[in-house]
Amino acid sequence: MIRTFLRLFNDPRVLQLSILGSLLVYGLVALNWSAELWRWTAFAIPALLTQWMGNQLTGARGYKSAWITIFGLCLLLYASSWWVAALCAILSIGVKFVIRADGKHFFNPSNFGIVVVILLTGEAWISPGQWGSGAFWIFAIGGGAMLTTIKVKRLSTAIAFIATLFFLESIRTVFYLGWGFDVLVHQFASGALLLFTFFMITDPVTTPRHHVARIVWAAGVAVLAFALTHWVYLYTAPIYALIILSPLTPLINRWFPAEKFLWNSTQIQFKPQTLIS
Amino acid sequence: MEFDSNSIQTSNTYIMKKLIFCLLGWLVLSPQSTDAFCGFYVARADAKLVNHQSEVILVRDGQRTVITMSSDFQGDVKDFAMVVPVPVVLKEKDIRIANQLLFDRLEAYSGPRIVEYYDQNPCYADRHYSALPSMSMSRAETLDMVIMENAEELGVTIEASYTIGEYDILILSAKESTGLKTWLVQNGYQIPKQAEEVLDPYIRNNLKFFVVKVNLEEMEALGFQNLRPIQMEFESDRFMLPLRLGMANAEHAQDMVVYAFTRSGRIEATNYRTVKVPTNRDIPLFVQQDFGRFYKDVFDRSYEREQRKAVFLEYAWDVSPRANMKCDPCVTDPPVLADFKEAGADWVSGYGPDSDVFFTRLRVRYTRDKFPQDLLFQVTPNRENFQARYVTRHPAKGDLSCAEGGRYINDLTRRRQKEVDELASLAGWRSADYNNYIYEFMPQEWIPNFRERRNEVLPLWLKERFPNAPHWLLAIAAIVGLLAMGVIAKRFLKPTA
Repeated sequence: MIRTFLRLFNDPRVLQLSILGSLLVYGLVALNWSAELWRWTAFAIPALLTQWMGNQLTGARGYKSAWITIFGLCLLLYASSWWVAALCAILSIGVKFVIRADGKHFFNPSNFGIVVVILLTGEAWISPGQWGSGAFWIFAIGGGAMLTTIKVKRLSTAIAFIATLFFLESIRTVFYLGWGFDVLVHQFASGALLLFTFFMITDPVTTPRHHVARIVWAAGVAVLAFALTHWVYLYTAPIYALIILSPLTPLINRWFPAEKFLWNSTQIQFKPQTLIS
Repeated sequence: MEFDSNSIQTSNTYIMKKLIFCLLGWLVLSPQSTDAFCGFYVARADAKLVNHQSEVILVRDGQRTVITMSSDFQGDVKDFAMVVPVPVVLKEKDIRIANQLLFDRLEAYSGPRIVEYYDQNPCYADRHYSALPSMSMSRAETLDMVIMENAEELGVTIEASYTIGEYDILILSAKESTGLKTWLVQNGYQIPKQAEEVLDPYIRNNLKFFVVKVNLEEMEALGFQNLRPIQMEFESDRFMLPLRLGMANAEHAQDMVVYAFTRSGRIEATNYRTVKVPTNRDIPLFVQQDFGRFYKDVFDRSYEREQRKAVFLEYAWDVSPRANMKCDPCVTDPPVLADFKEAGADWVSGYGPDSDVFFTRLRVRYTRDKFPQDLLFQVTPNRENFQARYVTRHPAKGDLSCAEGGRYINDLTRRRQKEVDELASLAGWRSADYNNYIYEFMPQEWIPNFRERRNEVLPLWLKERFPNAPHWLLAIAAIVGLLAMGVIAKRFLKPTA
């Protein structure tokens, strides 16, 4: 029985789900977030329905990705009414089936939903400050566990992004402006930034397949995020940077072909037959 | 002493309406506890938790920001000097003098409040009301400053200079911090040692310096005793409050209260957590006598619980002129059109939807070590109302000798036990004397049977020393569990072939 249960974790998405779930629990119990059941429901039901419809139409299977999107939305996005949340959920899941190139979606689902709903309705918002700066270790542990499990060189995406951003920020904040290192540390202990680094930009499906190209692309997201933070004063710049650079993914995939990523491929999974024996 | 006159005039129909509204609140099950916002009498805690605190009114409308600053400077006005980093060179028309009364009104209106309920006598119906005195304190503030020379040699450019009201105002830009520092020191501004290190970052970030001193002649001519608040208006992408320049040292905590008006909804900090102060808690009746001290202790504990690095939400309400219920209960009259205009929220001009305005009140207690970065804000569409509200309940009056009365006394005693527990967890107030309050109405011979022991999962001493211990243990257990699961999954599910 334990084995059956553990076999679930063969798919890294299950681990990702449980980490996102425990981050939500952490927010509720340690950070005293209010449990907004109406908002979570308004994300979950439309998202699952959209996924179901999409599955019916395209023959795709499974709801794990949809659940990851739902948890991501619960952690990131606040809405002033339920219909805004529902709209965001529908857009997030819908974009996977509607906007595709080379038989694969290229917008990160929750990223797309969040940005479109914020810009379109003005009735949704992200609270980048909600994590405080104490959540750093929680994220480091959760993110680390996540990435070691996925292996598949996905760690490089996160590292390329955060390292580039750290490099640029430290040059600007510490060496150019002359703030102390504590200001820099404070900026990078932001939970929203770490959530983005470990759980959004690392999505294997919507990032370029080619290893080196992906690292360059992730660094590009960091450069754009840096520019948006300091010239447009966007506090949630990485999210905008990602949506702007996402359409490059199919192009990069064409220029630098590499093996297509499959969640259940042997790259990451233990062979089921060996488990049964 | 002042009374809430509205409450005294409470008519029966008003009470009925209110009760119906309460019932509806229960039925609708709205996201927030609407039912809790029903009570009749109020007192408030004064904003001044500490002797030195600054108050700021922020108005944000698109790119436009209006900042009104009231410093609590105490002392001789000729010693007053203030330096505020601003993003642009302000024009004369963008600088105004505001009325201190505006701060007093906003403070009184949005402050934490206590509300009273009266129990019905279960043996016979009777309502009894009395008004409660609210606490208020006087405020005093003043400002001052000096003269300037050889700015150019020091690389300091005087971009503009105005005399507005009792103030002489200069707007400076500087090439480097040493020159600016020298200039400021020569001209009598005392820059705290900790603040010097931030001059460079501000200069590099292209900020200007808004420098204020008191023009003693003007002040005499105007006949004001105290210095009035200064208001400035500018357009900027940045919505922030520079804290660092005013920080004295790491240990010395400074309090700042921010009153913000926006069109769309609450403001919140983007680089620190914005946390609600505890609200809607039932507290013992006797706290009414000492509500100011109670709230101070509640805030101190919340501040410690958040590891001294959070921004606290004390009030958030839709105060649009067309909105009917501005607060329930109201401590004082809500802001009127003239108040909005004076604060700089000049879009609030009538009763239409164009005049919608949302009021947020935040309290920041900051120190150098926990607030390394200036406060950055964002305006959100969050229109959820919030007030720091504490509930007291008066016991029923009269004869309680009927059977219902006995049950009532049991319930009352249990309720008071909870109130006393709440008082300990909120404000840290503990005393053996509180037993008299708990058992006030219970006949002596009932008491031994009544006392009951509750089960505690964690030992009480642990909870007392670390109020967040259960949360942390849960969070740690969850993470350890996850890690263990991952490790086990890897160990045992490896292909054996």
